[in-house]
Amino acid sequence: KDKDKSAPSKDSTPEGAAERQADGAETPKQQLLDIIGNMKVEVSYRKKLQQLKASENKKQAVNKLEAPPDSEGSVPQGITEDTQRGKPLNPELVKAASAVASSFPRDKKQTESELLAQLRRHEKTTDKQKKGGTINIRNVISEMTVKRQSPEQWGARISGRISLQLGEDGQRIRPSAQSVDSRRSLKVGKRLNIFTKASTEPEHALKTASSPTIWDLEFAKEVAAVTAQPPRNGFEEMIQWTKEGILWEFPIDNEVGMEDDAEFHEHIFLEKHLEGFPKEGPIRHFMELVICGLSKNPYLSVKQKVEHIEWFQKYFEEKKELLQEI
Amino acid sequence: QVLPSSCPRQVRSYYVDWRMLRDVKRRKMAYEYADERLRINAIRKNSILPKELQEVADKEIAALPRDSCPVRIRNRCVLTSRPRGVKRRWRLSRIVFRHFADHAQMSGVQRAMW
Repeated sequence: KDKDKSAPSKDSTPEGAAERQADGAETPKQQLLDIIGNMKVEVSYRKKLQQLKASENKKQAVNKLEAPPDSEGSVPQGITEDTQRGKPLNPELVKAASAVASSFPRDKKQTESELLAQLRRHEKTTDKQKKGGTINIRNVISEMTVKRQSPEQWGARISGRISLQLGEDGQRIRPSAQSVDSRRSLKVGKRLNIFTKASTEPEHALKTASSPTIWDLEFAKEVAAVTAQPPRNGFEEMIQWTKEGILWEFPIDNEVGMEDDAEFHEHIFLEKHLEGFPKEGPIRHFMELVICGLSKNPYLSVKQKVEHIEWFQKYFEEKKELLQEI
Repeated sequence: QVLPSSCPRQVRSYYVDWRMLRDVKRRKMAYEYADERLRINAIRKNSILPKELQEVADKEIAALPRDSCPVRIRNRCVLTSRPRGVKRRWRLSRIVFRHFADHAQMSGVQRAMW
């Protein structure tokens, strides 16, 4: 039933769009609204909303509204979410809302009022978002007053801040707000131009000019040997062993050092590497056996297998004259 | 060699004797030529390829350096370079093995008694 109803209504909307383009007047909209109004109750709410959105999308395209595209994620939120964005409540929206409300089985006036209220709330939030959220925070902070504290209280506050990080949610808002305040005071204000920006280019040039000499390497080794203190406990000893490679890293990774990024099909289907060989004859037979053996070999990497085959290719090319004598 | 004071192990900077050094050289060469030897042997030990090719392969493998064949490697004792009486699992000669086992420096090794 739903599908049948949606199909004719969708057929009507392209026709309606064509008519709109031809007429350019409000009458097709009226027709649409009438259609919406006439739609029966048996159609599910969600389908109806989708049809409504489709029709209103087309309206938007035709009328070239400024509004940004709809967000489809809001559909499942509930009955009352009509997601069109305009500045003041569009009369079209109002009409659409009334049409939808009229088609609902419940209290028409109540649903209409609810829809309109939702629309208003929605536009409020979208306007706020358009202006930008950071300004709101700044307003909030500027409203907060800065308290004068004695140094003893500072110490208490700092310790309190450190201890409060673990704890309760109610008290956490205050220290974070104060830290935001201090952050703001650091960045705000004129530049004093006391410190000149140190240029980093000559340092780079120096480093690239001379590669580390033997003396530098020896010095580095000596420094490392002197600074390497003997391990204070068993844990440090184990850390040292792990760094040296004596102790493995746990949980043991069986594939340490073996980084084979190739898929299994690259290991098994090696016939494409056999293109340099003649298609018939004992050599081909021999190479097919080689490939069969390689495909079963789990210990070689793909590169090694390819090298293997290439070696044979080179070898047979060198012996070509000999082979042709035979 | 500057060693950190934490390292109490005995550090040997020489091989035990010249024979051990030669064995080490042979092992290195065998590692280098292992792939080539394998491939040439694959051509030789073959009933499909023509015999002339196999004869040529024979000559080629004979032309490789002598120390590259793995047959020349001898599993000597790692500490004393003794060529005989070497247990493969520990790479030690029987005498050294006994010495360490008696001093309880071999993990998991116990005197047999049954």
